[in-house]
Amino acid sequence: MKSGAALRTAVACAIMIALHYTLRPLLGWRASIDFLLIALVFGSVRTRPAAAAVFGLFLGLAADSLSPGAFGAGALAATIVGFSSSWLKAVFFADNFALNAIFLFAGKWVFDFVFVLMARQLRGLEILVQLVLWTPLAAIITAVAGVLVITLLRPVYQERTA
Amino acid sequence: MARAATLGGRFDTVVFGACVVVAIVLSALPLQMRDPLASALRRTIVAPLVAMQQGAERWRAAWLESERRTLQADSIGLAAMRSRALEFENERLRKLLGLGARLTWGFIPAEALHTEGRTETVVTTLTLTAGSNAGVTQYSPVVAPEGIVGLVQTVDPGMSIAILFSHPDFRVSAMSADGAAFGIVYPRIDVASMRLSERYLLELRNVPFRSELKAGTPIYSSGVGQAWPRGVLIGTVIDEVAEPETWSRTYVLRPAVNPAHVTSVMILRAPRVAQGVSGVWPVPTAPARAGDSAVTPPGDSARAKFVADSIQRLLVRRQRRDSIRRDSVRKDSIRLDSIRLDSIRRDTTRPPQERTP
Repeated sequence: MKSGAALRTAVACAIMIALHYTLRPLLGWRASIDFLLIALVFGSVRTRPAAAAVFGLFLGLAADSLSPGAFGAGALAATIVGFSSSWLKAVFFADNFALNAIFLFAGKWVFDFVFVLMARQLRGLEILVQLVLWTPLAAIITAVAGVLVITLLRPVYQERTA
Repeated sequence: MARAATLGGRFDTVVFGACVVVAIVLSALPLQMRDPLASALRRTIVAPLVAMQQGAERWRAAWLESERRTLQADSIGLAAMRSRALEFENERLRKLLGLGARLTWGFIPAEALHTEGRTETVVTTLTLTAGSNAGVTQYSPVVAPEGIVGLVQTVDPGMSIAILFSHPDFRVSAMSADGAAFGIVYPRIDVASMRLSERYLLELRNVPFRSELKAGTPIYSSGVGQAWPRGVLIGTVIDEVAEPETWSRTYVLRPAVNPAHVTSVMILRAPRVAQGVSGVWPVPTAPARAGDSAVTPPGDSARAKFVADSIQRLLVRRQRRDSIRRDSVRKDSIRLDSIRLDSIRRDTTRPPQERTP
């Protein structure tokens, strides 16, 4: 990736991370938009799988630092999602709204699945309710918001052609 | 080229594996070892993010607080509106208790139910929560503290339906307070559709031409015809209607009772109607001068003045006699019973003589 493109991607990711800590608490929804995951998927598909894995690890650790009980769980989940996104983009990732939405939905669901299992904070039926009810809801909302944000940030990250 | 791609792929896999191992190791670390690491992250790269989150949550808290205050203000407004309605209802119930205390016996208290969503533009009937089980009979007069409400038309065991004074079939023989002018009160039916509010007004018809009534004169039931007792307030004179007939006058009356405000009523029983209700509805005292009489005497004859004065004196004497009789009836502890609503229901349907053991 060229340095200009990398900078633009970094700016777009920073905006999404900022949104995660500003817009998300302001909305206060039960099934909330995961802007960190949008930033992770957005950044991962534009970098090598190794870089995506490292990006996921650091992003996950930053998020986990605010919930010490589950420290490492978010890092593992983000690493897996980041690496998978980057690896899969070579197979069938295109700059398509529907495909972006599907990747974001699947990414959010995988992230929550790994996080819930690793964090061991929920038990029995709670895990089922979280993974079958709240996670899909949050994934849908994240996918919709992700597509919207990616569209809005297009002027920021897209390379201008003469 | 292919070798470079393979090496690159291996490198990616190795880095990914390393990251996974780091994450697993970090999650498996004991709490004492994880905390310093998390704390270091919180104090460095996560600190600005936490500050942003704090700001956002303050905004949300402020927004929720504003919403809560708006709801609180709405609730207070609603409670104030309800308190006004309760004050109004309280006032009405107090008046009704006062009426019960003045009537002392021979009445049945009932709630008046207004039917919502009816198709007719003018309300002419009222459902009452007392029926034949409580002693209500057909054509029993229905009164409110302010005066005449209507007449029971249909009686069921547990409820009854009364026609209001706005019903086309409603009639009551009426008189002025001094008994000088007589007539029959009808509902005012022939009004333009644009002036339907006037449909609740009444007409005092067939008043002898010599009896000219002033605006504001109260009109009472005369007791002629036995359906209504003498002395129940019907309304007050608003104006005279121009009639082609020259031998009688017609007056428009404003009813004493507003049908919209009727929530509780009293149904008078036949023995009470027969005995009369004089003194229950306040009759204005005799005018200070003969010239102040509600009815303008014909011409300027001294005889007419003398007759008017004599009538006033008779009325005052009769009122005094009635009030003495009422006081003597109250002494036998009936008044205490009539103040409580449950005892009103139980004890007020019979005359005091029957209740005395």
